[in-house]
Amino acid sequence: MIPFLAVVKRELGSVLRDRTILIAILLQLFIASFSSGLLLGMLSLYDADMILRESGSWIKIGVVAAGDDPLEAILAERGVTVVPFGTLAQAESAFYEGEISAIVDSPRPAKNNGAGDANGITEIKLYLPESNTVSSLVRMVLQEPLEQYENYLRSQKGVAIHYTDLQGEPSTSFEFVYSVLLPILMFFPAFVGGSLSIDSLTEEFENNTVQTLLSAPLTVNGMVGAKIVSVLILSILQSGAWLVLLTLNGIAIQNTGWIFLLALIVSGITSTSAALAAILLRDRERSQFIYALMLLAAAAISSLLNLSPIVTLSRLAVGDPFLSGWNVLSFAVVLTGLYLLLWKASRRIMV
Amino acid sequence: MNQILIIAWRELTRLRKRFGSGASPLAVILLLAAVGLSAFAVRNTISLGSGLYQIGVTEDVPPIRDSRFTVIAVEAGQGRTMLDRRVIDVLIDGTQVFSRNDDKSQYATHALKQYLEEAELGRIRNTYPEAQAFPLRVGINYLSASQAAGQNEAGDPAPVTRPEETIIPSLSTPPVPFAQVLVAMIYILPITFISIFFTSSFMDEKINRRLTVLLSAPVTPFQIILGKMLPYAIFALSAIVLIAVLTKGNVLLTIAIFVPTILFIFAIYLMVPLFYRTFKDTTFIAMLVTTLTTAYLVAPAMFTDVNDISYISPLTLAVKMYRNEPFGWREYLFPSLPMAAIFGFAMFAGTRLLNEEFLMGYKPLTRKLTDAVYLLLAHAKPYLSVPLWSVLVIPVVYMAQIIFLAFASNLPLGMILMVTLMASAAMEEMMKSIGIVVLTEHGVVRSYRELLGLSFLSALGFFVGEKLLVLLSINMVTQASISSVLFGQGLFLFAPLIAHSIFTALVTLLRTKAKLPYPAALLAGTLVHFLYNWYLLGGLR
Repeated sequence: MIPFLAVVKRELGSVLRDRTILIAILLQLFIASFSSGLLLGMLSLYDADMILRESGSWIKIGVVAAGDDPLEAILAERGVTVVPFGTLAQAESAFYEGEISAIVDSPRPAKNNGAGDANGITEIKLYLPESNTVSSLVRMVLQEPLEQYENYLRSQKGVAIHYTDLQGEPSTSFEFVYSVLLPILMFFPAFVGGSLSIDSLTEEFENNTVQTLLSAPLTVNGMVGAKIVSVLILSILQSGAWLVLLTLNGIAIQNTGWIFLLALIVSGITSTSAALAAILLRDRERSQFIYALMLLAAAAISSLLNLSPIVTLSRLAVGDPFLSGWNVLSFAVVLTGLYLLLWKASRRIMV
Repeated sequence: MNQILIIAWRELTRLRKRFGSGASPLAVILLLAAVGLSAFAVRNTISLGSGLYQIGVTEDVPPIRDSRFTVIAVEAGQGRTMLDRRVIDVLIDGTQVFSRNDDKSQYATHALKQYLEEAELGRIRNTYPEAQAFPLRVGINYLSASQAAGQNEAGDPAPVTRPEETIIPSLSTPPVPFAQVLVAMIYILPITFISIFFTSSFMDEKINRRLTVLLSAPVTPFQIILGKMLPYAIFALSAIVLIAVLTKGNVLLTIAIFVPTILFIFAIYLMVPLFYRTFKDTTFIAMLVTTLTTAYLVAPAMFTDVNDISYISPLTLAVKMYRNEPFGWREYLFPSLPMAAIFGFAMFAGTRLLNEEFLMGYKPLTRKLTDAVYLLLAHAKPYLSVPLWSVLVIPVVYMAQIIFLAFASNLPLGMILMVTLMASAAMEEMMKSIGIVVLTEHGVVRSYRELLGLSFLSALGFFVGEKLLVLLSINMVTQASISSVLFGQGLFLFAPLIAHSIFTALVTLLRTKAKLPYPAALLAGTLVHFLYNWYLLGGLR
């Protein structure tokens, strides 16, 4: 038992001495903040509510008088600043003087193109500025009112469309936190852990130090196990830290205990399968390559089988009442299977 | 040239040996399985998350097919109870939807709204004739803003700059270029994979000490790097062509877009084998590099057509290509030139650093980096190499500042600006002073006069390069009028230049003459620099 602990201590010591583990931790912080920043940026440019809140006051839309048509009312109700005009020419001169950012021309029956009947389709002309930035903001803001107007026209034609009165709160950030951010932070240490266990095993093989190591009173399985354990210690420290930090940031996470266990088991799975690859292939170049491919394949297969650890994690975190912690234990079965395989395979090191 | 080809051939032989036996069939099968399955998985999971929301539905509701919802069949009354007890988030009873007032239920309602709108469109399309189901057409015209003379007397259509585009609002595609960015990312994946092999080839040679033999042969380091890079560059190029053919892109245009990207990624990965000491280092450094390059390439492309800043990534060009939108030379050169420049810089650094002494020593990473700086600077006169260094590191400083901003966004609002300014000042001072400090430590520079002169030159290089970069980037993307506003004051102002050279001189003198440890000297310079910036921004008034 003492040599086992000595190997664990040596492994951890070397990782801490190299200081490069700092890169991994900073990287996770970077991924987390960068992706939330990206999301915020995308929301502020692509989400109509957000655009209206931030720059709604300077987006003024000129509407050419539409009589008793409800289009103007729909636009105003959405929070768009509407400036009414009598004719298109007046609206255009206001546009060139910079008073309005776009023009919506009054709805009229679509022109009959000569080929067949226009079927009473209504047509609106929209005049936008050439600048990409402004015109895409305007289009984003106008999208929903135009759809509402379309629904109004449908109802005029006797087409019943349901579920048009739903509102709710924009859910993108919520979905992002629980299905992207939390899985990244919980499982990233596990992916790193796999690579680390390949590194520490192949380094012994390629530098021919494995025989020396084994001349200590330590079995092959003990040596491999110690390396895996040291990797696991590193990754649970990281996962635990992220759990605490997220909770401190006011993100409610349910089933923390099961989530912690899940992160640990997934770390175990990645580092065991990585060690398996390292033992079979014996060099870093090929092992890392195969390991990366295995990760991709496993992610794809598990999401197909609906047994993905990522889905399990996000459902646990939001507190899905239909998912018990016992689902986590199905991954423990996978881990046990892989570890038995490793147990068999590690005999090959001696040869 | 011949030497380069010989080394390239040798590299191919090495690859064949390594992957010739055992691993290759396994690798091929896994590769195919991984690519195929991930394509399949991506196609199925465009929406974020799975099973985040629990939805109760009565039996007359059409089936809900969206991975975000866990659907539970309920009766109306039972459903209301479950909703109240928070077992489900939303209840759909026929055409009515019930929710609670808490956040989770409201989020679920919004997600459901997005989904049901789509589903309803599908239903009415299948039930009603086209003119009834989609009774609205919107014709979009673009007016050129500068054309004030365009007011016409008759009610004719205004002067338009592009042909009219007609859309049906409910069917118009959202402008977020998710799909195209995803396709563009498919190009990045093989380039990254191949460049990892390029890296591990160097590592392999380093372990076997064959690189030592190679270095003593009559070939230059430049030829070695180029020769080893050649096969991988050809692999990457063929992967690009293959993807372009498979995704029905324009092959020649794709090559033009992605060759600078290939060079850029290879340049970055060339640095990895030069600096690593243990295998674990390589893993961490490679991970860092992959994340940063992916963030740099992918994030701007998400804003294609929404913001001109998106042109700093070549993926934006690919997105435009897949959208069948044209782009001009300026848009092409804006992302491509910096990438080519970084490749050039990396090749230069590679040829300087590829020597046995530098490669083999185990030293702290900071020591290794300063050694590298010394090797880069020592071959020319300091009065030339120091300012040149300051110019060349500007892209690095800018990238670092963006990263600082990303980190600082976690802090309370009032601290973001302060911390970012502080970190940027530290980064800038470090880059300006490190060359001079290293040269002094190696005894190349000694006197006060030399130190002050070099500090001034270093600040000058940084100053000129910075202004040049801003000028160029503004000229490339937006109207030149902005640049005249920006540079009307400032460009030839002497005071900021003097101030900046004083900060640098402070750091170098504290380090070399007062013998303070470098971090302490840097901290002092940073503080003064920060206070100066803070004063300029009006923070002290």
